[in-house]
Amino acid sequence: MKQFAVLQLSGCAGCEVSLLNADAWVNTYHLAYMPLVISVEDIPNVDILLISGSVHTNEDLYKLRQSIRHAHQVIAVGTCAISGGVAHLGDRDEVRQFFLSQNERTNLPYLLPRSRPIDDIIEVDRYLPGCPPTPELFMAVLDDKPDFKPGASVCSECGRKKDKDIRPPSLVGIRKGEVWPEICLINQGYLCIGSSTRGGCRAICTRPGYPCVGCRGPSDAFIEKESKAWFNAIQRVFTTMTDIPPAEIDASLHSPQLALFLFQFSDYQGQIRPIRPKEKIL
Amino acid sequence: MTSLVFPLSRIEGHARATIEIQDGQVLSAHFQAMEMRGFQQFVLGIPAEQMPVIVPRICGVCSTAQHVASVKALEDAYGITPPPLAQKIRELLLLGQLIQNQATSLFFFTMPDRLGTATLFPSDTEKAASEDEKARSRIATRALMVRKAGTDLITVAGGQFIHPIKAVVGGVNSGISAEDAGVMREQLLKALPVACELFDSYWEMSLALRERIGTWGDDTPTCYIACTSESFPEYNGDLVRIVGAQGDVLDAFPPRLFRSYLNFQESDYSFAGRTDYHGEILRANSLARINMTHCMGTPRADDYLARFQNAFGHPAHAILLYDLCRGIELVYAIERAADILQQPLDQGDTAVAHIPRDGEGYGLVEAPRGPLIHHYKIERGLISSAEFIIPTVHNVRAIERALEVAARRYINTDRVNLELEQAVGRVVRAFDPCIACATH
Repeated sequence: MKQFAVLQLSGCAGCEVSLLNADAWVNTYHLAYMPLVISVEDIPNVDILLISGSVHTNEDLYKLRQSIRHAHQVIAVGTCAISGGVAHLGDRDEVRQFFLSQNERTNLPYLLPRSRPIDDIIEVDRYLPGCPPTPELFMAVLDDKPDFKPGASVCSECGRKKDKDIRPPSLVGIRKGEVWPEICLINQGYLCIGSSTRGGCRAICTRPGYPCVGCRGPSDAFIEKESKAWFNAIQRVFTTMTDIPPAEIDASLHSPQLALFLFQFSDYQGQIRPIRPKEKIL
Repeated sequence: MTSLVFPLSRIEGHARATIEIQDGQVLSAHFQAMEMRGFQQFVLGIPAEQMPVIVPRICGVCSTAQHVASVKALEDAYGITPPPLAQKIRELLLLGQLIQNQATSLFFFTMPDRLGTATLFPSDTEKAASEDEKARSRIATRALMVRKAGTDLITVAGGQFIHPIKAVVGGVNSGISAEDAGVMREQLLKALPVACELFDSYWEMSLALRERIGTWGDDTPTCYIACTSESFPEYNGDLVRIVGAQGDVLDAFPPRLFRSYLNFQESDYSFAGRTDYHGEILRANSLARINMTHCMGTPRADDYLARFQNAFGHPAHAILLYDLCRGIELVYAIERAADILQQPLDQGDTAVAHIPRDGEGYGLVEAPRGPLIHHYKIERGLISSAEFIIPTVHNVRAIERALEVAARRYINTDRVNLELEQAVGRVVRAFDPCIACATH
């Protein structure tokens, strides 16, 4: 029976909660370590180590480095582990200062000024994307089925119709008043980035009228590229479909405020990292 | 002076308990939150209406409660009230959250303490599995089924079971079709007898534990805090209530006045602070709600409530009774959700129109761990200040005092009884703290 372990670094435990919903593993795999539901001190030797959360404290660093010694295969689980996730909203000077100022306490882990993805520290064998990854994805990585088909883009699952006659002159913000059903949110002036975001979520935000914020990370077309390629692609979509000035789109995309998950591509700590080939991403 | 440090598992997030002793005397007990999330800082400047999508990420376990509290804070700022249909669907969301949370806490966090094992999940079954292992495997499978009824309910009412999106400013973005409601109701009705059966055995196991250790947790009574109605459960209420050790109502206040009643203090040994009520220790979570409840309003939950109050009185105070209260609430939430799903949920307005405006808003819900308040200030449509008033923080002083009491029980001048380690785990898990939320 395959053994697996779950190491949770700094994060929200949503990935673990999702794993608990993939109940098919209970009688087929042996979960050997997961502090949320198991009281065991150390990680035993395992076939698969799932790591969720980002590296945000010196203790995260230590645990991460220790844990991989016991694992045959290391999987980065969820947006935080893959790219820093929602904590990257914190990648601003005032927030860095805030984290550093919290370190005057005693006998606690030391907070790092910014949150880092795990492959900035260790080698990762596979990436399991999502915020959180769906239970089906967890089973796909455990079962390691070669014919598993991941979702395409959110856009392809959304079903709203693009209308080339509706060209908004400016962005309308997050959600203002009534949203027309059936019509693409970009036609309505919303900053929706579903066109380049990984699918598999069944477009649960965009269908009822919430613009996609990109929580599942970049789609296959962008996975091995830099963030610039992603930004440019979004820019192109808006140039084609709207009359919104490119500068306005650019400013919105680059404001950490509007683009929650656009900070998917962490700039690593001054080193050039190898690209993440598609076959590594589930 | 010696410090005994206990890392904690089977709770949400990273925490540990530290007990300081000298010559067999317990000097102090500290509950340390070991991580810092930083949401209060990094949501600054975010468009206010994006908050309901961002703040669920504070915590994957409590994301539904965070989601609804956030929407309510914006509605307060914009001065709008959602229509009745939206209120019903939000109640379903919070009931789904309660089922998920209480099932997780009851079966996966605390049942292993009653079974004397490290986890509810079976270990490697390739080895000759013992009868105990097989029994545990059956419990785990059934517990996951009950829990899944909760997460599926959140999906039906909220769009996805972690970080839901369907509550929107003004209401909800869609109703629930009669067909979906029917399927969900069937699933809940199937889960109900399983939940009761598991809870019955949990109750028996708890009695056996009480026999073995000789106590239900012997800390002295204190005040209780919850956002629930005067006599029956309510999770989408508007008032925070505080009752005294005798069950007397001491205060009831809207969330915007919380500073006049609750005193918050930072601590230098933990990333979470702690709250008191005019210097008094507070307790939040399941026991607080059950102490404010005279009637659950659903048949099987009322049977359990009567059984509980006959056995332990009203109000009840012992620490390990928190866990039994969770079971009563689990049964209630399943029954209540099944009732609501029988009503039409696809007729009437799903939301009222609104015009965003600048200002200030407070949103309150009773999360599984207690009253949760979001407070936002909005300038030019952007968040200029955000406060998250987290129920786990209200419980920190109560946790620390209960840990001290447990430590005194197991430490004397001659020796430290190794049962202390188990006791520390049981006490902390009874309060079911959430560290991700507490350090938001």
